[in-house]
Amino acid sequence: MELKKIDKPDLGLFLQNLIKDFQVEGVKRKGQSVYGQSFFYGSINAPDELCLDFDCTTMPPKKYFIPPKEELLKFTIAPKPEVAEVIESKPLIIFGVHPYDLKAVNQMDKIFSEGNPDPNYLKRREGILLIGVDPTKVSPRSFWNSMEAASVSSGFDLMLTDIGESYLVEVGTDKGGNLLKKYAKVSSVTKEEEQKRIDVRSKIWNMCKKRALNFPMRELPSLLVNSLNSPLWDEKASKCLSCVTCNMVCPTCYCFDVWDDVELDLTHGQRYRRWDGCLASDFAKVATGENFRETRAARYRHRFLRKGQYLFSKLNDAACVGCGRCAAYCLPDIADPVDVFNRLKEAVK
Amino acid sequence: MNHSMPDGSPYVPKWAEISRIEKLTESEKLFELRLSNGQPLGHKPGQFVEVSVLGIGEAPISISSPPINDNSFELAVRKVGNVTNAMHNLGVGGKLGIRGPFGTNFPIDEAKGKDILFVAGGIGLVPLRSFIKFVLENRKDYGEVTVLFGARNPSEQLFLSELEQWRGRKDISYLETVDRADENWKGNVGVITTLFPKVQVDPAKTICVVVGPPVMYRFVIMETKAKGIPDKQIFLSLERRMKCGLGKCGHCQINNIYVCQDGPVLRYSDIFALEEAL
Amino acid sequence: MDKPRVAFFDFASCEGDQLQIVNLEEDLLKVVGAVDVVSFREAMKGHSDNYDIAFVEGSITRRSDEPRLLEIRKNAKILVAIGACATIGGVNLLKNFQDLESVRKFVYGDKFFQYETYPARPIKAVVPVDLEIHQCPINRDEFVMAFKALLMGKKPEFPNYPVCEDCKKAENICVFEMGMTCMGPVTRAGCGACCVVEGSVCWGCRGFIDHPNADSEREVLAKYGLSVGDILKKFRLYTGFSEVSK
Repeated sequence: MELKKIDKPDLGLFLQNLIKDFQVEGVKRKGQSVYGQSFFYGSINAPDELCLDFDCTTMPPKKYFIPPKEELLKFTIAPKPEVAEVIESKPLIIFGVHPYDLKAVNQMDKIFSEGNPDPNYLKRREGILLIGVDPTKVSPRSFWNSMEAASVSSGFDLMLTDIGESYLVEVGTDKGGNLLKKYAKVSSVTKEEEQKRIDVRSKIWNMCKKRALNFPMRELPSLLVNSLNSPLWDEKASKCLSCVTCNMVCPTCYCFDVWDDVELDLTHGQRYRRWDGCLASDFAKVATGENFRETRAARYRHRFLRKGQYLFSKLNDAACVGCGRCAAYCLPDIADPVDVFNRLKEAVK
Repeated sequence: MNHSMPDGSPYVPKWAEISRIEKLTESEKLFELRLSNGQPLGHKPGQFVEVSVLGIGEAPISISSPPINDNSFELAVRKVGNVTNAMHNLGVGGKLGIRGPFGTNFPIDEAKGKDILFVAGGIGLVPLRSFIKFVLENRKDYGEVTVLFGARNPSEQLFLSELEQWRGRKDISYLETVDRADENWKGNVGVITTLFPKVQVDPAKTICVVVGPPVMYRFVIMETKAKGIPDKQIFLSLERRMKCGLGKCGHCQINNIYVCQDGPVLRYSDIFALEEAL
Repeated sequence: MDKPRVAFFDFASCEGDQLQIVNLEEDLLKVVGAVDVVSFREAMKGHSDNYDIAFVEGSITRRSDEPRLLEIRKNAKILVAIGACATIGGVNLLKNFQDLESVRKFVYGDKFFQYETYPARPIKAVVPVDLEIHQCPINRDEFVMAFKALLMGKKPEFPNYPVCEDCKKAENICVFEMGMTCMGPVTRAGCGACCVVEGSVCWGCRGFIDHPNADSEREVLAKYGLSVGDILKKFRLYTGFSEVSK
C-alpha cells in the first residue's frame, strides 16, 4: 500500500491544478434544510466550492455512472431505417466519495461488466477517476458500519483521510498515483501518522455504531428467505406512497426503463433509458395489463429481498451499503433497512 | 476495474424484413420475417426476441417457429400495446429491428426418447408451437406425443390449418377444448384441465411442457401432480416485462431469477418455491 | 395520406394551455405543418366542424356547455383533454365546495341570476376522453410528445409514478425538509418537478397517479404539521374531483 501525505493548505492547490486539466465533480453545499446542511454532487470550479466534511450527500454519485436519462441509440426511420449506437464518455474526476458509495460503485462495476457487459456503463466508467474520502461525520440514518461498507480495499484511485493537520492519501491505482505525482505536493508518511489514520478511522467507524443491525449482515439471505410471509411487509407497505424516492436515492438501485422519442419530422429519433424504480406501481406490468407485483406489499418486499437476498447471490454481498438515504428521505419513514431487518430478525428468534 | 469491453452496443438491433403475413384471428397475425444479413436467427424453441419498431419502441416476442436452415423465422403477435399495434399496421416488405434470440429453450434434448405432454392455453400456443413443430419434424426422436390446447372460444383458436393437420395425425394425440362454445363448435367445452381425465401418461417417462396465461399454471400443475408427473419433468414458459433482454433492467425479475436470462422456459421444480413465479 | 385535421376548443379556463401551444416557438411551425388546423380561436380566424382530433381545454361548469361538448365529441375521432381544468377539473372545482348561490353572487354581483352554474367537472365527466394531457398549464414538451405519438398512431406513454421521482432526479432538497408541504408524493410526474425546482412546492396540478396512497399522504401532511382542514384544502385545490367521484 502506497501512502502519501498532503498538508491541508496544499489540498486546495492540488484541486486547483486538477480543475485546470479536468472536469472535477465533488460535494457541494446546497441550501439548509430543517435538519441542517444539504449536500449534492456538482461541478467544482474553484477549490473552496468543494466540501469534504459532509456527512452524506442527498443523492449518491451514481448519476455520473448511470445518467438519470441516457441516450442508447440514434435512429432514422425513413426513408431507410438506420440505427447507430450512442456510447458516451468524458474524462471526469469525482472528488470526495465516501467508502460506502465506493462500495456501491464496485458493485455496479460488477453488475454491468458481468453476464452481458453494458458498454454504455463501462465506457463511461473508464473515463472516471474516483478520489475517495473517509467520513468525518456520520449522517443520523447511516449504518454503513453494519454493512461491511466502512472501508473499501479497492474501487478508488486515491483515498483521503483527514488526520488533522493533513490528509493521508492512499494510492489505489496507477492512474491515481500519476495524478498525485503530477498535480499534488506530497510528502512521506511517518509511522505515527499511519497510526493516526487507523485511530481516526476506528473513531468514525465507532460513531456509526449507533444505528446497526443486531446480527451479522451475512445472515441477511437466510433471514429474508425465512421472512417471506412476515406481517411486517403489509404493515410497512400500507404507508408506502410508491413514490420511488428510496430507489432514486439508492446508490445500488440501477433498474431502468427504455423508450423511444422522435423528432417532430417523425423521421429521426433516439432510444433512451431512464432510472426506474421497483416501487412504482407499473414496474412489473406487461402490455396485456397483467401486473406481476400488483400490491404495495409485494413491491416493498421485493426491494428488501433484492438488496438482501437476490443480489446477494450475484454479488456475494448485500446490495445495501448502509448509507441510510432511503431511510432519511422516505416521508412516511417506512424504508429504513435497519428497522426492517432488525424487526424481521426479532420475529424469527 | 477489470472487464472486457463488448464489441458494440447490445441495444443495436439487426434488421429483418416481413416476408409473409397471415391473419390468425381478429387480434393476432403471424409474421414471417427474414433477417437482412441472410443468416439464420440461430434460435432454439422457446426463446424470444426483442422486436423494435423505430420511434414506437421495443417489445419481447416469443418465436413461434422451429429453427430452420434459412434466414426466416415466425412471430405470432397479438396486438396489445404500441409496438404490437404498429407491427399489425406493417405490410410485407416492412422492416423490423430484432435483438436476440434471448433466454432459455424448451428441453429439446432432455425430452428425446421420452413421451411429451404439451399443454397450451390461448396464445400460449405461440411459443409452444415452435417446440411442437420441432418434435413433429423430428418425430422418431420422441415417444408418445400428446397436445392439449384450450382457447377461450373457437374464434380465438390460432393456427387453424395446423390444428386441422394435428387432428388428423395418427402419430400424436391432439385434444382441444374451448371455455365457451359457439353454434358451430362440436368439440369439448370447458377449461383446459377438463382434458386431463382423457389423457393416459406414463409419469416416469413423460416430459410436460405448459404455456398459457398466468392464471392457468396453478390449475394445470394440480392435474400433472394428480397424474404423478415429477416436478422436475415439468417445464413452463413465463411471461414478464423483459425490457432489456440482458439481465440488467430489472423489470422481468422474479425473486432471484431474471426471466430474460434464466427463463422464459423454467423447470417447475426450480421455481415452485419462488413466491412470485406462479 | 392526408394530414389529420385538428381543432382546438375551450370551456371554463384561462386559455393558458392553448397559449402554451402558441408559445411553442420554432416547434409550432412544425406542429402546424404536420396537420391541418381547422379551428383555433386563440391563433386564427375561421372554423370548421370537419376535424379528426379535437384538443379541448377547460372544465365544464354549466349545463349549457354540455351540448357543445357533445357535438365536439361527435365530430372528433380523437378527443384530447388538455390542461388541469379539462383533465381533473382544475381550480374551477374549488367552487364545488362552496355554496353555488354565493359563488354566483360573488362573481356576477346583482346580475347573478342571469348566469347559470353547476358543479364544475372535467371533460371526462361529460363525454369519453381518449387522451389527457395534464398540468396547469400543460407543459410544451409533453404536448409535443403526445402530439408526435398521435401522428404516429401510438398511444403516448405518460408517467404513472409520483413527482418525487422527477424531483429526486432534479436533485432538489425535499420541500418537507424545508418546512413546507407538498402534493408531489401522490401527483403524476412528468413536469420535472418544475415548481419545486423554482422554489415552490407541488400543488398537484397533474392530478393523482393511478393508485395514489392518499391516506399515507394525509398522514405525512399531518406529521409535518397540517391541520385536518389544511389537508382537506390541499387535496381540494386540484384533486377535489377524485374526492366527490369516489
